[in-house]
Amino acid sequence: MITLYDYENSADCYKARLLLGILGLKFDIVPVDIFPGDDHRRPEFLDLNPLAEVPVLTDDGVTLTDPQAIMVWLAARYDDRKLWLPGAAESIAMVQHWLGMAARLAASAGAARTALARTDELDVAPLQAEAHRLLRVIDEHLWFAERERRFWLVPLSHPTIADLSCFPDLALSEEAGIYHIDYPAIRRWLDRVKRIDGFSVMSGIFPASRGGTATVSTTS
Amino acid sequence: MNHMSPPPPLSPVWHPIAASTDLAVRHVFHGKLLGRELAVWRADDGHVNVWDNRCLHRGVRLSIGMNDGAELKCQYHGWRYASRSAGCTYIPAHPANSPSRQVTNRVFPTIERCGLIWAALEPDQPFIGLPQADWFAAREAIVHAPAALVLNTLAAEAVPRSLAWLSPYAMRLARRAAPDETLIILAQPADGATTIIRALRAGAPADANAWLRRINRVFVTLRDQIEAASPAGEAAAEPDFTPVAAELAEPAPAATAGLTVTVARKWQVAADVFALKLKPLAGTLPAFQPGAHIDVTLPSGQVRQYSLTGGPGENEFWTIGVRRMPQSRGGSRQIAEQVREGDLLSVSAPRHNFPLRRDALRSVLIAGGIGLTPLLAMAKALRHGGHPFELHVFSRDAAHLPFADTLRGFGDNVRLHLGSDPVQTRETVAHLLGPHGFAQHVYVCGAPGLIDAVTRTADHLGWPDEAVHYEHFSNDREINASSSFTVALARSALDVEIPAGCSMLAAIRAAGVSLPSSCERGACGTCVVKVLEGVPDHQDVYLNAREKAAGRSVVTCVSRATSQRLVLDL
Repeated sequence: MITLYDYENSADCYKARLLLGILGLKFDIVPVDIFPGDDHRRPEFLDLNPLAEVPVLTDDGVTLTDPQAIMVWLAARYDDRKLWLPGAAESIAMVQHWLGMAARLAASAGAARTALARTDELDVAPLQAEAHRLLRVIDEHLWFAERERRFWLVPLSHPTIADLSCFPDLALSEEAGIYHIDYPAIRRWLDRVKRIDGFSVMSGIFPASRGGTATVSTTS
Repeated sequence: MNHMSPPPPLSPVWHPIAASTDLAVRHVFHGKLLGRELAVWRADDGHVNVWDNRCLHRGVRLSIGMNDGAELKCQYHGWRYASRSAGCTYIPAHPANSPSRQVTNRVFPTIERCGLIWAALEPDQPFIGLPQADWFAAREAIVHAPAALVLNTLAAEAVPRSLAWLSPYAMRLARRAAPDETLIILAQPADGATTIIRALRAGAPADANAWLRRINRVFVTLRDQIEAASPAGEAAAEPDFTPVAAELAEPAPAATAGLTVTVARKWQVAADVFALKLKPLAGTLPAFQPGAHIDVTLPSGQVRQYSLTGGPGENEFWTIGVRRMPQSRGGSRQIAEQVREGDLLSVSAPRHNFPLRRDALRSVLIAGGIGLTPLLAMAKALRHGGHPFELHVFSRDAAHLPFADTLRGFGDNVRLHLGSDPVQTRETVAHLLGPHGFAQHVYVCGAPGLIDAVTRTADHLGWPDEAVHYEHFSNDREINASSSFTVALARSALDVEIPAGCSMLAAIRAAGVSLPSSCERGACGTCVVKVLEGVPDHQDVYLNAREKAAGRSVVTCVSRATSQRLVLDL
């Protein structure tokens, strides 16, 4: 049985929930009260993840503590059609590129969002500046992809975990003071991700209307 | 360095605000011009809407709303606004009522040209833009610097030629690196601290993608230079949100404003029914909701009511259906015989006395003959919203079935009942209604016999009054106007005597109090007024039995009072 140690407002946990929902997998949730409870610093949680971070996913004797690693595990193990993590060398490398980008987004936009939500005494300006730098590059990438009728981060006809891993921190970046108005191609891509069958929301993320371009069915 | 005089801070000219390709299907683009936020979206019929970026309810940005192809829905409380007019069509918190027509968002003039969406913040500005040609647009560059700085830097980088006739924010540039290639530069002043550079080239280049990437690199480099050199700009101005007053969310009296429309097309849709397509002489038709009717002033000066048959998004034209009645009072015959394509007609704004709920699990629409017209609009709205519904149409025979082509498009949702006699009709109605279930609603429009059969059968089967909705064409009752009484207008602090032979509506108006009306025969409900004291003598067919028994409202065009005094909330 899959168990997700989860904090509802965490963008990293949302990555796991998003893919679990899209793959239609059953899973148990163990809520971890990160704030204000500090449950992630308790000894029993540190046994699971000494980095004191959520999400943690346990499945079949395997314990995974990195949101991108969790997505790789779920896609490799449960997606029989190999759409979410395609096997060709070029695709593997490109997906890996965007999983790395997802980690950079979490460290910039994601960190600024968390700090602002908790009113931590942290200078978020450098985090926001780094996020803007990343978003400018991603918007440019997506704008040129659209020119070639490609709608996803990796140039395939369908989305991959590259899209799902970058989606949460990009979609939630306005909560970090990084507004989407300057990134029109990212805004259109956010709509496309929201139209993937099995997509789920979290606080701060609204659904898109149905029927737009690239309404995707990834279930067989 | 070639110093240009800075452009004026505000100039009432047309600006590009987006690229055509920014408006993806069912997307809402987030735009900004001169500090004003814009929600920009394309309806499924291709119409581009440029609106103030805020819901009139709570000021939430409409750019995060949902474009359903015909309406824009706010994410916060689900208020819906129609394409073109931006009129509010539905408020989920008041599912049984119609939003006031005053709840209409601000619409900015817009035009799509040269691969760009242009808008003007001031109304009635003639469009001044580039001549129509095969323009090719580069990727925009969003620069966090004021427009004057961006334009000056651009001018220093290349050989500029003024395009002052077009806009102080436009110039023609030949880059020193590629002097043969002239670019039209349009600097969009998003706000005091942000400028969007849009560049156009005459004709598509041979290798479009290579050109786009090259130009993009030029502008991105320029952007980084400008931003590195310029101090942090002034904070972007926050949009000015003005929430709508609470009372505007309540149903408001029908408007009295008239419109002039052209008969764009007239065609036969059944043996005795003509359809008329009405087009505004200028501007945009106001938003309407399914079930709405308009007053049409005929060449003779008579006024008749016709339902609008369009669905969501069908707001460029209105379509009505007119049946030539054998015992016509002259109205429908005049339209059938005298009105021609190209004629002008005076019509009212839409009136909403037959509202459709969009939260039902089952909606049963029952039409008799020409009574189909309001239900056609309802069926289209329900289909567009993905709500389950059945449309039952009773007609003498196939030849008299109006809008048969449209009906075929509904497939299995439509059931035809041809040539059914009154007994069969009652049996059919009982069968199709069935016992009432949670969130089920029935809507009926047609001859009095059909409405009577449906309302009685529904009552018998346990359907509550609030689930049974009907609209009469007319009131066939003989009106007894022999009583005389006094009406006290509570808000106006006026007593009005109603002598025998004079309607309350006429006497109230004669006393100087305005009161909207439409059919003036007790059928449409436009002139309903709340009763505070006294006993009304109901003679209309608009209020249902329970409403009549409660005595809290009265249809002022035909009803009277059995008490000596009637106190009205007017």
